[in-house]
Amino acid sequence: MTINQFNTQNLNVGQKLAIKYFSVAVVLFAAQILFGLIAGLQYLQPDLFYGVLDFNVNRTVHINAMIIWMLYGFIGASYWLLEDETGISIVGIKWGHFSFWLLTVAVIIVVLVYLFIQWGPGTDATIWFINEGREYIEAPRLADIGIVICMLIFFYNVAATVSKGKVTGITGVLTLDLVALAGLYLAGMFYTTNISLDQFWWWWVIHLWVEATWEVLVGCIMAWGLITTLGASRKIVTTWLYIEVALMFGAGILGLGHHYFWIGTPEYWFTVGGLFSALEPIPLVAMVVHAVYDSGKHGFKSNNHPAMAWLIAHAFGNFFGAGVWGFMHTLPQINLYTHGTQWTASHGHLAFFGAYATIIIAMFYFAVQKWRGGVTIRGDLVDSGWKWKWSLALLNIGVMGMTIALLISGYEQSQIERAIGGSTWLGYFQAQIHPWFVEGLVWRQIMGYITALGFILLVWDLLTIGKKEPLELESKVA
Amino acid sequence: MLQPVELKDFFITFFASGIIIVSGALYALFYAFYHLKKIAVLNYLAYVSYFVLFISVLIITQTMHLDKIWTIVVIAMLVGYFLAPRGIWHLCVATHKEKGYEQK
Repeated sequence: MTINQFNTQNLNVGQKLAIKYFSVAVVLFAAQILFGLIAGLQYLQPDLFYGVLDFNVNRTVHINAMIIWMLYGFIGASYWLLEDETGISIVGIKWGHFSFWLLTVAVIIVVLVYLFIQWGPGTDATIWFINEGREYIEAPRLADIGIVICMLIFFYNVAATVSKGKVTGITGVLTLDLVALAGLYLAGMFYTTNISLDQFWWWWVIHLWVEATWEVLVGCIMAWGLITTLGASRKIVTTWLYIEVALMFGAGILGLGHHYFWIGTPEYWFTVGGLFSALEPIPLVAMVVHAVYDSGKHGFKSNNHPAMAWLIAHAFGNFFGAGVWGFMHTLPQINLYTHGTQWTASHGHLAFFGAYATIIIAMFYFAVQKWRGGVTIRGDLVDSGWKWKWSLALLNIGVMGMTIALLISGYEQSQIERAIGGSTWLGYFQAQIHPWFVEGLVWRQIMGYITALGFILLVWDLLTIGKKEPLELESKVA
Repeated sequence: MLQPVELKDFFITFFASGIIIVSGALYALFYAFYHLKKIAVLNYLAYVSYFVLFISVLIITQTMHLDKIWTIVVIAMLVGYFLAPRGIWHLCVATHKEKGYEQK
């Protein structure tokens, strides 16, 4: 085992593959921020890159890069923990590598197509090769098929390894969740000429991926992280994983209804969506109890402070982004005015960052630690850990700042454009030039730069943390 | 039928909705700390937090016109946010009770 330098000999077979996924995830994370900054600037200077790199393209790349880098992060995290959990080498690892390259080539092609071929009439052929036209999952159908093949290979790797190795609660839940992950994506692939029907199925991918299957994946990663960093009891953590899955599915599946308010579905979705949306934050709130219980009953010590800090950021970010920001505008009586305004963007920024980006960043730190031979990354780092602390602070301040700035713009929009303007074009333009809206977007841009700065520091830290630590620190591993 | 929030009630609706979740979390936090530390003031703070939640729910009941079938949502919130932390506490105690579970 080699200490202090990146050496793949420090990693098992699955972890070597995971590093590839994490590396691409970081690149796509950079793309998300870059294209987000350009799209933000275009709000302030609408003629910027007009005809060269239009807003609709930037926005598409910004959002799709986010979805895909998080997907890479989750797949990488699953490969990372799989051999530790099952006790055997990953079955069909060659297929895993093939899948990685297939997905990566597909992503590169899709991004190039987004950037260079996004004009002209929409036809049956463009659905297959250019753009499927559904927000968040614009990838053309050919790429969709590639994504599903990759998800099925990923599922095969996990299921075959779990069936031959040790079955734990974490791997059991993970395997079942991957069935849903691959299966639900299919709902976004067929096309109907009825926009209500189309939207109905589209939300299955967006909501049920994000608020069900991804949450379960996060639950598995968190469970493994708690056992690994804090030495928490496997039995307790696994029991709580089951409880979490039950709570999440109990409220989350029919919480889907809050997306069915305004797409032409029957009126009963108002009540169903409203009721389950009101219940959705309860598990988040209730989990506060468990956090307090564990912090009071156990004297846990972590050997990876940045990872631990990002896990804590995950708990808070998930609570505020998904819970508070979600519930503020989820009931249909108010959602009528906020739906699709910058309110939604405000909620989206904090929820995606808090619930998902944070825990994947924590996984990056776990990976770096092991990749460097298992060095201890605690408070007594040679450089006192200023880079990870500042990147943590800047990323959180930046995203929180963007969230509040968008909230102000969205609040104005919901009043001027929706409530007063009655969702007319006149109302729309009046809202767009209102000082609250414009100033909100200026501050969103400033906070975007802070986020980008935090990201640069994060990458620098991931490449250097643990590099200069004295070897004797290894003996302090808890 | 759905009766949307009136313009004059926008801010109070957003604010009260956010407060429901925050006070729900504070109730859970103080409730858990009280059972952990047995300091009476924490118990009072827990119930004050729940009272804030209760008032906030009443406010959005008014502003969002949560009557008739929508009463279910009001009851679900009041009961759910009150009982969930208690249920989770009992689960915590139960899952940690068995011998050998305390640490790996």
